[in-house]
Amino acid sequence: MTVSGVALCVILIHFLLGIYKGVADGSVEYIRSSKTDLWIMQKHTTNILRSTSIIRNNQRGEIEELPGVAYASPLLFIIGSVNVSDGPKTAYIIGYDSEKNLGGPPSIHQGRGIQADNEIVLDRSFAAKYQLDLGDIVRIKQHKLTVVGLSSGTNMFVLQYVFVTLTEAFKIINFGGIVSCLQVKLKPGANQYQVARSIEHKVPDVVVYGQETFLKNNIEEMESGVLPMLFVIALIGSVVLTAILSLILSINVLERRKDYAVMKALGAPQDFVPKLVIIQSFVLSISGLMLGMLVFFPLMKVVEKIAPEVSVSTSIYHVIIISLGVMFISLISSLYPISKLKQIYPMEVFNEK
Amino acid sequence: MKNKMQQEPVSRLIGVSKTFQGFNREARVLKDIDFAIFPGELVLLLGPSGSGKSTFLTILAGLQPPTSGEVWLFGKELQAYTQATLQELRAAKLGFIFQTFHLIDALTALENILLVMKFTHKNDKLALIRAKELLEQFGILYLIDAYPRTMSQGEKQRVAIARALANNAQLIIADEPTGSLATDQGMEIVLLLSNLAKKENRSVILTSHDQRIIPYADRVLFLQDGVLS
Repeated sequence: MTVSGVALCVILIHFLLGIYKGVADGSVEYIRSSKTDLWIMQKHTTNILRSTSIIRNNQRGEIEELPGVAYASPLLFIIGSVNVSDGPKTAYIIGYDSEKNLGGPPSIHQGRGIQADNEIVLDRSFAAKYQLDLGDIVRIKQHKLTVVGLSSGTNMFVLQYVFVTLTEAFKIINFGGIVSCLQVKLKPGANQYQVARSIEHKVPDVVVYGQETFLKNNIEEMESGVLPMLFVIALIGSVVLTAILSLILSINVLERRKDYAVMKALGAPQDFVPKLVIIQSFVLSISGLMLGMLVFFPLMKVVEKIAPEVSVSTSIYHVIIISLGVMFISLISSLYPISKLKQIYPMEVFNEK
Repeated sequence: MKNKMQQEPVSRLIGVSKTFQGFNREARVLKDIDFAIFPGELVLLLGPSGSGKSTFLTILAGLQPPTSGEVWLFGKELQAYTQATLQELRAAKLGFIFQTFHLIDALTALENILLVMKFTHKNDKLALIRAKELLEQFGILYLIDAYPRTMSQGEKQRVAIARALANNAQLIIADEPTGSLATDQGMEIVLLLSNLAKKENRSVILTSHDQRIIPYADRVLFLQDGVLS
């Protein structure tokens, strides 16, 4: 029972960290894998996850004239509806210039990238959730689009990315004059900092970020939104785990009261019995940890089948963190039962007390 | 050769009294007791239930202090020992045998004996050799891997005696050691304890109701209403 309780807590904490990593990867993988050198956004905009940026599309020409700039590629982000068989479903629609190699899906899991205006690439979990496959037709507004590819690294948990051409994206908003941002590819040997400053000097009301800075901004934004919630749930899981272990160990101390009293009477050193309780706690925790780890991975496969948008991802780093956390909790959990040992007296094993 | 009484006593009580504080009254379990036990001596302490025999033993072993009087253990007054040195002393020089044996159920016979040698930090290899010697000495080597639940009462008590001797205890305190045994098994155990005193020069104090043990004892004391006679 104790081992199962520990295993359940381990699964819960592992699951939370897995969701966090899944969200983190899905939210920023698009930016992380971008081959762009510079991101041009509306002034005071720091990220694409929780802010709106609007810039004029015709500024692209001015920027491409600047020394050091190879080309600029526009992106348009829209939170909109994709109509599937059972109605409209919200998605994060990205319109990009498919001829330039910038702004498309980070990786294609199945099928291919976009080659024409009437095509769409869907996030694979979005497709799985609504039973969509390659060759299926979806509609955005009145436009019919054929699913030509399924992407990975594009699941933000609350929303999934889908990709269309920039032209198609303009049709969705019925306006072709604005984009969300421009991605800039530099010429070989160009100084990134100098080009960024010259863009900001020439084009008013924009801000230019290097790829690393922009990625960092988006990670911070994602963490500030998701981490506090996951932290609270993980904390509750840890408290439950501590309580379970502490209670079971306390019961165990009471059940073996006579044994401990005998050990004290026979001259066990003062730290001998507390060490036994700590070892017992560690044995229970390690067994629970191993059981939890064994169950976690098959369980995640089941979860992904039931709820494809729940993207759970893990790493050796998480396994180490959880293992160390459980070890720490098992040590903390031993403190209360150890305090109970003080109330066990060696005289209890004699006929009269 | 020195006469037993000329040797230094292993343990001595001088004017010891013990009073337990109850609700609205106090119970005086031991009254002004003087006692000494010497090496090679088997002392039998007789007395009815509730006469204070076990309290007497726990005070003699330094497990609880007297309300008044002095307790001397191995040449030093009890107060001269710290809690830690007293525990070391109990592990190294005192052996306990109980009526209900008090073997650790989760451990085999061998492990029960090895356990007390862990308390004295005895080398693992030497401890194993010593434990096997004891099992052989008491004719229970066949129980080496047996758990207490599979043993007879007599076997359990032999393992308990082996455990009490694991660290070469000089003072063996046996609290009703025959109380849970059939008559013949009980007399076998008394004979074993008598041999330990006579042949190995250990001090043995045992409590009992059974008067048939009297012939094996060097001294017989009677405790009634907290008074030793």
